[in-house]
Amino acid sequence: MSMRSQVYDWDASRGTAMTVATSAGKRTSIFIGGVGNNITKPAETSATEFVVIEDIAVTPTLPIGVDTQIATAQRGLTYGVAMGIAGPRAYVQVRINTTDYFLDPDNVPNDGIPGTSSPYPRSIDFQPSFNLYPDVYVLPGQVWDVLVTFFNTQAFAGATAAAGELRCFVKYTLYDGPDALIANKLLEMGISINPGNVDWYKRSLLASQ
Amino acid sequence: MSMRSQVYEWANLAPVGVSSALRRSTADVPKALTAGREYDLFIGGTGNNITKPAETTATQFIVIEDIACSPHLGGAIQIRINTTDYFQNPDVTDQAGIPGLASPYPRGAPSSVNLASATPLNSDQLLKSFDLYPDVYVLPGQTFQILYTAETATGVGVAATSTEVVAAFVKYTLYDGPDALIANKLLELGVTINPNNVDWYKRSLIEQQQRSASMAAAAAMANGGQA
Repeated sequence: MSMRSQVYDWDASRGTAMTVATSAGKRTSIFIGGVGNNITKPAETSATEFVVIEDIAVTPTLPIGVDTQIATAQRGLTYGVAMGIAGPRAYVQVRINTTDYFLDPDNVPNDGIPGTSSPYPRSIDFQPSFNLYPDVYVLPGQVWDVLVTFFNTQAFAGATAAAGELRCFVKYTLYDGPDALIANKLLEMGISINPGNVDWYKRSLLASQ
Repeated sequence: MSMRSQVYEWANLAPVGVSSALRRSTADVPKALTAGREYDLFIGGTGNNITKPAETTATQFIVIEDIACSPHLGGAIQIRINTTDYFQNPDVTDQAGIPGLASPYPRGAPSSVNLASATPLNSDQLLKSFDLYPDVYVLPGQTFQILYTAETATGVGVAATSTEVVAAFVKYTLYDGPDALIANKLLELGVTINPNNVDWYKRSLIEQQQRSASMAAAAAMANGGQA
């Protein structure tokens, strides 16, 4: 159990349901943001852990246009006439310690990956354009966070988020104990850290004995 | 953090009273687009923009891996490096670039939108026909632009208050510091620049160092322990 594939699924409606008006345009931590399902403390790696974030995704958005005749959901997303889009216009950013991972070309941190390019859930209507490669490494002793920002307040039927209106997904692999040491070694060697390469390193150690 | 996957998304959305903004906001509304005009996603003055033209510093190397845009309004997307357009016609004349129909954003988007209807979306779900391969390299010190062009203007044949919303997307990998130097080296060697090959080059450097160190140690042994 020293390499484990992990998933964290966040829904703004779970736990303390998110109040749309006060959260719009602000970054919300999916771990300790105080809304939706949360965990007990900030996500961090211990001295014997290594985390590799392999995928992030958030509720998608569909650009349409201002059409006052639209009264129903479009492709499963609530339509907002003011912005002319269906869905929350949501973005997801990864933060390691105090550094944001995703930047604009002028090197200014941005809102993150749009749900339109990395949708959760995936469907025929919304397929990913984005692939988180190279992966994001969280080294031993670092604190990490995943932050969701949305801008279309009309994508929510009520004053608080309902199930499925804003969701976020993180897929990562947790390396623990000896495998975390091997992960550090692979990092020093400039080798991508994934379960296949950790196993390869173990085999090469055994072969050299 | 010296190789980072990055995304930039543009939409013709900005607050009331201005045509562009540096940050997205909850008060954004659609902005009108003119037919046939090239809109720079970064500093075009419409929709969300950034503070300065997109450029690489002397210690950066960018590899553009994907571009896409909304298929409706006949949208197309072009890459410009310094002053040179990447996509050209066979007769080497200018063109608008990759159509949103070939590289739709989002994938699964409808091919057309009719705002004069209560059911505005065409029922199809577009998949990509185009793959940006080989990738496009932006070398250190170069400026690059991503240009969106709509074949049809917004608000044609619909109510005066209706404006279509379009979006465009670019996915690139930013190599910074030592990894940018390696990217340059790979370019000289004619090797494709991607994270795997940058890692391969690092490994080969380490192996070379280790071989040199072990050869030096062996030579020292052969000389009776004297270096």
